[in-house]
Amino acid sequence: MKMIKLILLLAVLGVGTTAAVMYSGVVNVAADEPHSDFVYWILEETRKNSIKKAAANIKVPDLTDPELLLSGGVDYEFMCASCHLKPGQRESDMSLGLYPAPPNLTVPDNNDDIQVERNNFWVIKHGIKASGMPAWGKTHDDQRIWAMVAFIKRLPTLTPDQYQVLTAVE
Amino acid sequence: MKKNLMKTVSKIALVLIPAITLSMTATAHDPSLHVKKAKKADCSKMDHSKMDMKDPVAIAMMKKCMKQAKKSKDMMDHSKMDKQMDHSKMKKVDKKNMNKDDHNNH
Repeated sequence: MKMIKLILLLAVLGVGTTAAVMYSGVVNVAADEPHSDFVYWILEETRKNSIKKAAANIKVPDLTDPELLLSGGVDYEFMCASCHLKPGQRESDMSLGLYPAPPNLTVPDNNDDIQVERNNFWVIKHGIKASGMPAWGKTHDDQRIWAMVAFIKRLPTLTPDQYQVLTAVE
Repeated sequence: MKKNLMKTVSKIALVLIPAITLSMTATAHDPSLHVKKAKKADCSKMDHSKMDMKDPVAIAMMKKCMKQAKKSKDMMDHSKMDKQMDHSKMKKVDKKNMNKDDHNNH
């Protein structure tokens, strides 16, 4: 009986504390005020592991077809480059203003290639909550998303001139 | 008199310097960054001798530039242009004035 009372008391305390934090307005949601290291670590680990688990069984198609680079390049330029940058660019209004900062996709990702491609596909298709990353799968089919993944794979190797040609509208 | 003038100048400087600095940071980035224009591929910088024709990037670039060249060629269809262009209705070029303009450019 004592145990039940203690659990009930702890539950009421937990709910009360949460409500107090929520309704007092003490939490700063400004994007120019970073999280503490601890909160940032919790959110980052949660995000990484969630994407890894959700993308684990995605089958990666052949991404070497040059046509994929042409389709993916145009989409990348119009949908991604303002946040994730392009060759020769170090920052943009969006890359500086968003929090958490969007990853710079012009620098190579040294993780396992297949897992990176799976993750990229999943993130482009489903987006990430409260991060500024939209779910492009609502308006783009899988073929177009894989084309973007193929383009992102080659992006770190592209020069600004190559990027210009591949992303130009025909 | 000089002391008063100095005080006024220093007061103005105290107000103006931070104001100018703040307004500079507010307008520091180029507004053209917000404009997204569809640009054509700049194929003039492609160096075919340095390109690996087995590389998907090189193949994709070649395809893009060939399509673009074909498109611009199709748009300049002279056989169709002759039928539509009525030279008799066109303004005649004043050769004298044209020559003058040419010389003005030198």
